[in-house]
Amino acid sequence: MTSGLIHRAKTGFAGGKILCLASATALLAAISPVQAAGTIAGTDIVNVAQASYDDGGGGTITVDSNPVTITVDELLDVTVVSSDTGDVPVSPGATSQVLTYQVTNTGNGTEAFTLSADTARTGDDFDTVFEQIVLDTNDNGVYDPGVDTIYTPGTNDPSLAADESVTVFVLSEIPAAANDAERAEVELSAVALTGSGTPGTTFTGQGDGGGDAVVGSTGADAGDSGFFVVQVADVALVKSATIVDPFGGTEAVPGATITYQLVATTSGTGTLNNLTIADDIPNDTTYVTESITLEGGALTDSDADADEGSFDGSQIAVALGNIAGGQTRTITFQVTID
Amino acid sequence: MKFNILRKFSLILALVSPAPLLAANEVALSSDVFVERNVQKPDGKTAVVLEQPTRVIPGDKLVFVVKYKNVGDTPATDFSVTNPLPKAVAFNGTSDGTEIVSVDGGKSWGPLSDLKFTRENGEVRPALMSDVTHVKWTFNQSLSAGSEGKLVFRGTVR
Repeated sequence: MTSGLIHRAKTGFAGGKILCLASATALLAAISPVQAAGTIAGTDIVNVAQASYDDGGGGTITVDSNPVTITVDELLDVTVVSSDTGDVPVSPGATSQVLTYQVTNTGNGTEAFTLSADTARTGDDFDTVFEQIVLDTNDNGVYDPGVDTIYTPGTNDPSLAADESVTVFVLSEIPAAANDAERAEVELSAVALTGSGTPGTTFTGQGDGGGDAVVGSTGADAGDSGFFVVQVADVALVKSATIVDPFGGTEAVPGATITYQLVATTSGTGTLNNLTIADDIPNDTTYVTESITLEGGALTDSDADADEGSFDGSQIAVALGNIAGGQTRTITFQVTID
Repeated sequence: MKFNILRKFSLILALVSPAPLLAANEVALSSDVFVERNVQKPDGKTAVVLEQPTRVIPGDKLVFVVKYKNVGDTPATDFSVTNPLPKAVAFNGTSDGTEIVSVDGGKSWGPLSDLKFTRENGEVRPALMSDVTHVKWTFNQSLSAGSEGKLVFRGTVR
């Protein structure tokens, strides 16, 4: 104990000489799964080193060091991410319009979060009227009216385990005055109930697992925005007539054929769903059977077949289906003057 | 006289022979864990200080110090020191790189660059620091009586 040699690490070890005996199949993952958010709050980290040496008689003596125990405190962290893939299309005056968010506890302990929605963001084109925040109680990612739970701050603040997420819906009413292509921003914020603030702020004794709670890199306060975009579409119809009389002229005489042309032009950023163009056969004329065309192609009069055209005895109709704004459809049909 | 010496000698031998059983107390080992904390100094600069913590948070950088000393009066041969890593700690290396490590719970050993890690899906890839389960120092000379030393490695709270 008086004049012992100090074993210097650089000279004393032969680490590289140990053979690696492992075969690929014998290797097993020895580290137990650790949360993405980090080691769970309240976990004890116990470190014990072990020395072993020859006992001089062929055996091995093993010595344990003192254990050092450190406890993991709770880290307060949260993220909010808009789940909508893009702007959510809405119509003016619509109610219960949904934006979807994902709130994730990225801390390492169980924590409740206070939620709030801000519809009065600046920099967008209009503000929606806030209706409700709804928690996705049945966890299917879709707003189910009457099934999912309406959120009331301070009453049912969602409590999330480490790494756990909840889907949150913010419901809005779209003002009737909103115009085509205008956007509205709605931000959802989540704040840790224990506390938030500058990263590193400590709430002594308030941590999950009995320790302190420490504000993490997110400040334990996060928000993200979703957007509505108003989509309106309109259609304009222009009708014209061409007359061919039996004598090669263009006089409107009995026996003359009138070809009507209907040009439907859609406008706006929206889509007109199940757009059908119909026209009555004028009095004192007779419809020329099987004379309907769409974009120059003949359609049948039957309503039972797959094509768009039909004649019911008094009017022709062409079911165009869903037509986005900015398109044109040209329809013709013929009648003869009685 | 000669006879007496021999007798004395054999008597000493008889007393010494159980010694290997007592040798368990001949090496003292101690473990300390420090955490790096950034401390704001009065001049506004940040200094890194080591503290002995009772509490840490994920991401904290830890320094593990293992001290050993042969407190007996005979050399300890085949001396090695092993530190199994607590599960909540990711290995961050040593300053001199003289250690060998295990990434499979202590079954196989080697320098990290020589080891492979098998993932749960069977995929094999080169082992990473974060895979390390044990750190070990193997001495290629015996630890003489009275000699001592210190081993240091770093880790991060997962």
